[in-house]
Amino acid sequence: MNVPIIDPLQGDFPEVIEEYLQHGNMKCIAFNRRGTLLAAGCADGSCVIWDFETRGVAKELRDKDCIAPITSVCWSKYGHHMLASATDKSLTLWNVVNGEKIARVTLQQTTLHARLHPGSCTPSVCLACPLSSAPILVDLNTGSSTVLPVSVSDAGNGTTAPHQRNKFSDGSPPFTPTAATFNRYGDLIYVGNSKGEILIVDSKNIRVHAIIPISGGSVVKDIVFSRNGQYLLTNSNDRVIRVYENLVPRKGAAKELEAMRSLDDEFQGIEKLKVVGSKCLVLFREFQDAVTKIQWKAPCFSGDGEWVIGASASKGEHKLYIWDRAGYLVKILEGPKEALIDLAWHPVRPLVVSVSVAGLVYIWAKDYTENWSAFAPDFKELEENEEYVEREDEFDLMPESEKAKELDINQDEEVDIVTIEKDSAFSDSEASQEELCFLPAIPLPDIPEQQDKCFGSSSKLEDSNHSGSPFSIEAAQNGQAMLPTSSPLEVVGNSTAEEVMGTTGLKRKRRPSAKGLELQAEKGRKPLTKIKPSAKLSKSKNKHGDGLDTNGFVFEDDVTDEYL
Amino acid sequence: MAAADPPSTAAAADGGVTPSIPQPYVLRETLTGHKRAVSSVKFSPDGSLLASASADKTLRIWSTSDLSLRAELSGHDEGVSDVSFSADGLYLCSASDDRTVRIWDLAAAAPVKTLTGHTNYAFCCSFNPQSNMIASGSFDESVRIWEVKSGKCLRVLPAHSEPVTAVDFNRDGSLIISSSYDGLCRIWDSATGHCMKTLIDDESPPVSFVKFSPNGKFVLTATLDSTLKLWNYSAGKFLKTYTGHVNSKFCIPAAFSVTNGKYVVSGSEDNCVYLWELQTRKIIQKLKGHTDTVIAVSCHPSENMIASGALGNDKTVKIWVQKDEDQREA
Repeated sequence: MNVPIIDPLQGDFPEVIEEYLQHGNMKCIAFNRRGTLLAAGCADGSCVIWDFETRGVAKELRDKDCIAPITSVCWSKYGHHMLASATDKSLTLWNVVNGEKIARVTLQQTTLHARLHPGSCTPSVCLACPLSSAPILVDLNTGSSTVLPVSVSDAGNGTTAPHQRNKFSDGSPPFTPTAATFNRYGDLIYVGNSKGEILIVDSKNIRVHAIIPISGGSVVKDIVFSRNGQYLLTNSNDRVIRVYENLVPRKGAAKELEAMRSLDDEFQGIEKLKVVGSKCLVLFREFQDAVTKIQWKAPCFSGDGEWVIGASASKGEHKLYIWDRAGYLVKILEGPKEALIDLAWHPVRPLVVSVSVAGLVYIWAKDYTENWSAFAPDFKELEENEEYVEREDEFDLMPESEKAKELDINQDEEVDIVTIEKDSAFSDSEASQEELCFLPAIPLPDIPEQQDKCFGSSSKLEDSNHSGSPFSIEAAQNGQAMLPTSSPLEVVGNSTAEEVMGTTGLKRKRRPSAKGLELQAEKGRKPLTKIKPSAKLSKSKNKHGDGLDTNGFVFEDDVTDEYL
Repeated sequence: MAAADPPSTAAAADGGVTPSIPQPYVLRETLTGHKRAVSSVKFSPDGSLLASASADKTLRIWSTSDLSLRAELSGHDEGVSDVSFSADGLYLCSASDDRTVRIWDLAAAAPVKTLTGHTNYAFCCSFNPQSNMIASGSFDESVRIWEVKSGKCLRVLPAHSEPVTAVDFNRDGSLIISSSYDGLCRIWDSATGHCMKTLIDDESPPVSFVKFSPNGKFVLTATLDSTLKLWNYSAGKFLKTYTGHVNSKFCIPAAFSVTNGKYVVSGSEDNCVYLWELQTRKIIQKLKGHTDTVIAVSCHPSENMIASGALGNDKTVKIWVQKDEDQREA
């Protein structure tokens, strides 16, 4: 979207909830590379892929074997495949285009975070981070797994050597909560261990190349790279989010580190790894809430790396903190009174998506004030009244300055109408032809009888099936979800909505509002109105849940954490 | 079979030579069948099909290889004003005076969805390049954005204060441009529905058509003072003007022909199809043969073929190809 007239402040941050998406009980989310599709893993084991432009469901990935709640979803680099990890210790690789399962591997523990190798189009290797033991590299084709080293013992030369004291008596793997992530091209894995160290491990030969100790030495809960691979952040148990600058070149990083190791002959063993480490990552900033000292959850970077967002892990809170690169807290966003379980920043636009424990996905966007100059370019918008001072010759019959407007346009200049400019937001230009940006939208057929039924009353109906517009949000904030009849945003959604409800289509639902209920009672039909979520709705939701549930999917009633 | 004007090589008044197209377009075929005026013609993105919309409430699908009739789509209650192919060529959308926009499945040659919501004639429609959204403009002065999958109206843009005559998406689908009889062209962000820019000229003659250039950087507008202008929309200034045709009553679309040299093609109320050279702005050729206003033109995406449709006195769609290709056929 590299168009000059679209607001250059794309790197800004969101401010308000624009919309929410509802389809089943969603637990985790992931954007594809371009931010055109949003994958969400649900509590019933299925994955829903949303077309982010239309905010509608594009595809649902279902399989009779996958019924356990999904803990994480991850896209392959070009969006053709998707990996989902579930609470039944499995990892499933899906083909997004045809919706079929490619592979399924069952591990020994449930994976909390699974990430596909970012370097290839058809990745078969993935990194799985279980809750409390070392991360494993899993080959999805063969099912074999390799445990990554989480610490380097003094005696060892960088190979796996779990600490004696952490080992359980029954020989089960030690309790070492670890977080890990691939670097941008997947040749290195950055592991954050329970001793507060970052280990850089080569993903091919599993050797530890470097160690970076984090001050404080507390357990690392999350470790995340920025989109361009320039920054790395760690979320530690000491309630501090640390941002490091990545000094290693992005391409050929592993080779670079190998070279660094062999160069340095001064130090040996761990010291050497630490020296190499100091050349790889440099502490850039630390973020914490000094006042309330909250633990953070799901921190991540904005698409351009300018902003860092972290969610408060305090019980029942849905608060997002946004810091800028200089370290200042710029915004605290408060959401509905439902705890937050996952968070993602859009790769390109200033949009944030958060998942609440109720299974809803909230979309946060900038609060848009209409740019009136765009409508009338010859007018200028003023902040305050300005006194107009006339020119000397303003009212002269032949004012000096008012020359006839010269058409200074050189009409003979060459105009190029075919060359396409590259999008600067994405540096991998060779990716564009292969990438899956959109799933084909197949129009769901209209059902004839219902259409006839609706025609008569559709013009008078006030139900709004609209989403995302400022009008509906404002109205909703006043406690009603209804738009005035005269509003141009009125949409005849009923006819189409009815059809979709009747088919096995994947429709996103809107909760009924108070007024919607009245209409429902009047017409005996099921309205689909949008309403701003609030605390009281979560109770009323159950009432109407069954009424709206005509599709195949289940409308979850429970609002509690299931497996966190 | 009416032939095109022979290339004019006579010396012009100023002593120079009037430019001529190296291989002039000649008429290859006249497609009959519509019972009333043709309102729009469009080639499919892969060039294998040609769709024509007519005031006789039907759409006709022709094969471009043998120019035979493939299908006739009926279902609209009133005349159809515009037609647009989806990016994969499997679906068509059409805008009609019955205030609806319909989506047709071409494989089944049957209507799939009806998009209701406009409160006056739907005049123009367009799929976005991803073909998950349709934009439609109407006499009710608004532009509506619809979701293809569910048929839901995603947005209603308060676009203009007069009927909207054309809508078009840019190359990556991020912008929508709309034109209207109120003399303005407005550019909208398709994701949010916010107005990005308004193109306004000093005198504001009604704008009857607008379209993005193939690379999405420029915009071609047609106004009812018989002028076509090529604008750089980010600067808000026009770069080229094309005149010589007649256009003061009808909304006649123009097209870019880029398969063999760069041209601008447009219909005209003097029953001809005009071709201008893009850079020099000179009229290269006038295709004669229609017996009424040429109300629609479309250029084939890969071959040197132009399709044109004319109003009620004529009711035909004519296919023009470049001369040597025509000879190959014969």
